[in-house]
Amino acid sequence: MHHNRWFKFGLLMGPFVLMVLVVCMVVTLGWAAWPSVAEVGLGFYVTDVWDPVHDVYGGAVFIWGSLLTTGLAILLAAPVSFAIALFTGYYFCNGVLALVAQWVLDLLASVPSVIFGFWGLMVLVPMIRLMETHLGVPPYGVGLFSAAMVLAFMMMPLMASLLRDIMLTVPADLKEGALALGATSFEVVKHVVWPHTLPGMVSAIMLGVGRAIGETMAVTMVIGNANHWPTHLFDPSNTIASLIASDFGETSDPLVISHLIHLGLVLLLLSLVTGFLGRRLVRMTRA
Amino acid sequence: MRDDRLSQRILIDRTLKGLLVGVALIVALVLMSIIWFVASRGIGAINWTFLTSLQGSPGASNVGIVNAILGTVMVAGLTTLVVIPFGIWCGIAMAEYPHHPLIRWAMMGIDALQSIPSILFGILAYLWIVVPMGHFSSLSGSVALAFIMLPMVVRSVEESVKQVPLTLREASLALGVSPTRTIMKVVIPCGLNGIVTGALLGLGRIVGETAPLLFTAFGSPFLVASVLEPVQTMPLLIYNYATSPYPDWQQMGWGASFILLVFCFILGLTTRFLVRK
Amino acid sequence: MTTTFDVSQLRVRIGKESIIKGISMSFFPHTVTSIMGPSGCGKTTFIRCMNRLHELVPNIQVDGTISLFNQDIFSVNPMLIRRQVGMVFQRPNPFPTMSIFDNVVAGYRLNGLPLSKAEALRIVELSLHKAGLWQEVKDVLHRKGAFLSGGQQQRLCIARALAMDPSVLLLDEPTSALDPNSTAHIEDLIAELKESVSIIMVTHNIGQASRVSDYTAFFLGGELIEYGTTQKLFTVPDDPRTEEYLSRKFGS
Repeated sequence: MHHNRWFKFGLLMGPFVLMVLVVCMVVTLGWAAWPSVAEVGLGFYVTDVWDPVHDVYGGAVFIWGSLLTTGLAILLAAPVSFAIALFTGYYFCNGVLALVAQWVLDLLASVPSVIFGFWGLMVLVPMIRLMETHLGVPPYGVGLFSAAMVLAFMMMPLMASLLRDIMLTVPADLKEGALALGATSFEVVKHVVWPHTLPGMVSAIMLGVGRAIGETMAVTMVIGNANHWPTHLFDPSNTIASLIASDFGETSDPLVISHLIHLGLVLLLLSLVTGFLGRRLVRMTRA
Repeated sequence: MRDDRLSQRILIDRTLKGLLVGVALIVALVLMSIIWFVASRGIGAINWTFLTSLQGSPGASNVGIVNAILGTVMVAGLTTLVVIPFGIWCGIAMAEYPHHPLIRWAMMGIDALQSIPSILFGILAYLWIVVPMGHFSSLSGSVALAFIMLPMVVRSVEESVKQVPLTLREASLALGVSPTRTIMKVVIPCGLNGIVTGALLGLGRIVGETAPLLFTAFGSPFLVASVLEPVQTMPLLIYNYATSPYPDWQQMGWGASFILLVFCFILGLTTRFLVRK
Repeated sequence: MTTTFDVSQLRVRIGKESIIKGISMSFFPHTVTSIMGPSGCGKTTFIRCMNRLHELVPNIQVDGTISLFNQDIFSVNPMLIRRQVGMVFQRPNPFPTMSIFDNVVAGYRLNGLPLSKAEALRIVELSLHKAGLWQEVKDVLHRKGAFLSGGQQQRLCIARALAMDPSVLLLDEPTSALDPNSTAHIEDLIAELKESVSIIMVTHNIGQASRVSDYTAFFLGGELIEYGTTQKLFTVPDDPRTEEYLSRKFGS
């Protein structure tokens, strides 16, 4: 469109300010994290001790915690999302069931993180504690597994919606052709729907990872806030986000704050990379 | 021989269908469980005192959450006031000049903003506003929330503007209307539906945000009139009360959760309805 | 003889592709001129040059001159040209967020030209009358136009264009998206309108061209093949290519 020069200039000012803000953000975080980087260097990523008393700070526990909870959550959420997507995108595409399922997903997606955490703490954790006593594991209730479960339920609506959209694009004639040859619904899924949806699955996982890795409140409330390396699945631990949530406002030591921001930068990098990849893949599969 | 395989295949098919229904039921069960707990424990806490009193110590009577309710309105209101005009501004720019190099960078910037975990925006607002000011404030909270809401609004404005049919622009231009006026008086009104949806989606998101406010708005037991003071919001209150050891506080946490959840549900369903239109 | 538009050696290129390869012709007041030709002959691009809407196409380049009442249209702000020249598009495009009333005076409202209520009502009534739509919508002027049929929407668009009191009205295949009944209505309308406004019409329906227009031009491959009175062109065309086009279309 050929707007007049002033309007165009004025219009482009908006995005320009936006870009300036984004650049300032990165610079600010880098600057604030620098004291930490200068102090501890690369060892920060492998030191698994976070001990304010003895002044030893290492980020390995939290990086690992973030990755582990997210990975576990994906393991739980991916098949469930696929199942839900099959439910709404293949088996019951139209009609009342699909509408209800869509509503359920929408409502779940609008539940704020802190309420999910509250529910997780009051409902899920006691159930898991029970499970832990049966398994002979220390019955904390809170821990990696609980966090992964809550995360999985939070990621699932987004992933299921994405997968459903992709499933609806499976060409009808492929499905009908398979059915006409006498295939059962399951076989149509196995041979037609699944291969078609596979790339979408990867992008859904990437997007889910991007969201889950930075999820703070729900995780903080059920992970147990223990700054040590987890020894097993049900051990309490901590993620980068939950560490920042619990410690950032508490400490006044500027170096510790710098360490926290340093970890925040790691989180930022992980989120940006997975978010970028996820969106790229979504654009490619939607095209 | 063929019959054997057939009955086996049918069995697998039925099992899978059953599994799917089972999974769907579990998911629905989770939602119902959340609703059930929030409603059953929360409704009991809600009464006039609850809605009109300030927070107090555990075990006290005549306490409530009015400071959190008003604080939420204040913080979310300020954010929305700033983000919507700026978001529309950027969204139009990105829709009008999609190939301009600045816009290409801006699109990556928006993508980046959408991927950043909300707690990091809290850190940024802390460094930019809380530290220079020397204390917490709802202003810093609004700034943190603004970064979360902005990409959502920009995206939906951009999409809405792009979806307005070219022929409507041509009709306006053919009447001798300037391109600028065409945008303001034809394209935006036609794209209003999408813009409103984006704003509501953004609002629904920030109203439920806790992490970025932990060390910006911080929380306060008082009614606050100035943006330069710390303020309490619903999610912050819920977090504090839920993780506290006091049963009456936990009960109030459920009450606040109920109010917040109903609000978020209404917003979520409204946007879904608007999108269907 | 006075002319409305004068086109001289018009050449239009999009990137490397030449769409219009040197056309010169003049248009006369109080007449209906049809431009006909097969798809891709450049007739739509041509008519869009007349109100400079061609400028919406990226990489488009124009050589030659187009004058309106002896004024070079490329030397002034395009908006000024467009206020003197109205356009009706192939698909009816009333503004969906505006009422029928507001649609008719949209040219004034959008341009910020002040109109008193009485003035606006007068213009709306006059334009809708001219467009043959008044009787059908006079009781629902303040409703949005979405419920109107295709033919009614197109007449609304014609009213909208007429409300600006243009000297020339450009019609880009105005009936190709309409049913035969609406098409007939609009063809009658065109015949009446030429009293007050000159009409240049692009059409691929040669029956329409022969029924409605005083002059007809035949374009082929970006060139003007023949231009003359409709009667002459359709009965004793000079150029064999014109004859071939007409016989193919009539025959099919």
